[in-house]
Amino acid sequence: MSEKPSDAADRTRNEAVPFTRVLSNLVSRNSYTLLLLLVFSVEVGVGIFVIRDLRTANVEAQRMYVGSVLGLRRIGELQYQAQETRRSTLYALTTNDSNLQVEYADQSREADGRVTDGIREYLEQARIPREVEIGRRLQLDWSAYLRVRDEVLASILEGSTREAVQFDLTGGVPSFERVRQDLEEVKRLYDEQASQRLAIVAGSSHRSVARLIAVLGFTLLFASASIWAIQRSKMMSEVQLAKLQMDFVASVSHELRTPLAVIGSAADNIADGVVEGKEQLTRYGVVIRNQTRQITELVNEILLFASTKEREIRYYRRPVKVQQIVESVMENTSELARASGFVIECHVDPELPYVMADAAALSQCLQNLIVNAVKYSGESRWISVRAALDYAHGRSRKEIRISVQDRGIGIASSELPHVFEPFYRSPAVSASQIHGTGLGLPLAKNIAEAMGGTLSVESELGVGSVFTLHLPVTEKAQFEMAAAAPGLDPLEKS
Amino acid sequence: MLVAAVVWLKPAPGWSFRGAGYAQTTSGQSLAIIVNQSNPVENLSLTELRRIFLGERSHWPNGRRITLVIMPPGEPEREAILREVCRMNEKDYNNHFLHGLFTGEVFASPKTLSTPVGVRKFVFNVPGAIGYVRTADVDDSVKVLRIDGLLPGDKDYKIPMQARLAK
Repeated sequence: MSEKPSDAADRTRNEAVPFTRVLSNLVSRNSYTLLLLLVFSVEVGVGIFVIRDLRTANVEAQRMYVGSVLGLRRIGELQYQAQETRRSTLYALTTNDSNLQVEYADQSREADGRVTDGIREYLEQARIPREVEIGRRLQLDWSAYLRVRDEVLASILEGSTREAVQFDLTGGVPSFERVRQDLEEVKRLYDEQASQRLAIVAGSSHRSVARLIAVLGFTLLFASASIWAIQRSKMMSEVQLAKLQMDFVASVSHELRTPLAVIGSAADNIADGVVEGKEQLTRYGVVIRNQTRQITELVNEILLFASTKEREIRYYRRPVKVQQIVESVMENTSELARASGFVIECHVDPELPYVMADAAALSQCLQNLIVNAVKYSGESRWISVRAALDYAHGRSRKEIRISVQDRGIGIASSELPHVFEPFYRSPAVSASQIHGTGLGLPLAKNIAEAMGGTLSVESELGVGSVFTLHLPVTEKAQFEMAAAAPGLDPLEKS
Repeated sequence: MLVAAVVWLKPAPGWSFRGAGYAQTTSGQSLAIIVNQSNPVENLSLTELRRIFLGERSHWPNGRRITLVIMPPGEPEREAILREVCRMNEKDYNNHFLHGLFTGEVFASPKTLSTPVGVRKFVFNVPGAIGYVRTADVDDSVKVLRIDGLLPGDKDYKIPMQARLAK
């Protein structure tokens, strides 16, 4: 059982919400895995963001590239159709057949319609001033060329070939050259824009890659640091556990040595024939029996704690009446109390509802608390046991509270967080030669939690301590009890 | 009883206008005299038209050279023009141009286009061109001239596709 050292005055509650407690246990048992999971999740999350970023950049790059390629293709088509316009016009010069000349004129006009539409589309899609400027200039130059072209065509069709050639040389050639230069400038502009866009996309991709490397590096460092911290923590825990186990072995050895010494000396006396008479032999027998019983109880306690820790014990929870449990425990501990000169005040509400619990385990839990109170009551020799119905702390549901109070040495605030740790014994208690294994309170706490309840402690150094067992009142207990045959004692049933 | 009468084929009741073009849904068709849209002339007398088609006029009032567009011999449109406007047969018409070109009375020989569409496109491309097509072949690309103030389809329009019947 744990000890209650004497130091500064303080009070605390050790009540935990079941879900929080379960989560806390899970985290403490699987901290290594959880941390790795956390790191993995962070890495995956960041990876998804970076991949999305890269994908967006790639899509944007593709769009820009496609836009530029389409623009270049469009300007190539414009150049071709402009050439086709002029070519068809000149073809008409090569024949005297009016029908053929009309066909060439028709082809020239179809081609010039496509060029005119293309220039209009270019102007509609122009965004920057330079594009608009070039587009308008192209439109004007093309119109000027078409006016000359019409005159040339008319002259050809009229049969005035010399006039047509004259028109073309003086007007057609220079105006078409201006159109050609305009189209070249549009093409150069597309090339420049494509190059600029590609440079932007390349820069963006490089930045994304750098960010990705930085994030991955950081994640790797973080993971390495986490693993190092976990291993260090694990090592420290192992060292601490080894120390606790050593303390435990020393404590148990000390606990065993005294009764074994008594048994040994009694056996020596009997063997040496020092014991004479039946009465003296009986007294020795009683001594040996008591000491053996003490050793047995100690060993049983250790085994019980070990089994509860490993979850080997399977509790059978049934509706039980708290009043009967308390009375049973009081009866079991009455001899100990009387021998030590203790006064135990017991107040149990007779109308308490049933709770779902394992009667034997609950008795063990209460007995541990009372024995603990006896051990650390100091000179006061007073213990109070109370059982009452109340609302759970911070909740609307009801619970039964069984409190064991003493006016003993109390527990220092710095020791309170450790009193439920297995094998823990404060230096002050060890120095006071109060014997114990450091398993009593952890065992009681394990049982309380297995019953769906909690164990809390309030203490003030030099004033005393109150250990309270909180047991939830469930509908199930009342329902099962009501369903059972009337008159049957649930304790007997279990 | 011989009654000599000139009977104009009645304009069909189904005349309809499609934009600036003309379409006729019955057999009664007329020839439309077409010029380039840029030509300022709107109306010609039949006499002026005859002079043009005989190559006796060289320029339009705006100074543009007149280019005559005709269809090849044997086409009904050509026959109708020779009959109704030139009032010559094929042989006389050819002789007229041969003689005129030789003497300098005719300034340019006509351009021959084999299809109505070709005629229309030629007129569209040449500002000084003048030609003839059936009213059904007219579209927005060319302008139809009034002849003596009448358009094809008007009552008493003087250039029918078919000869006036004599009873």
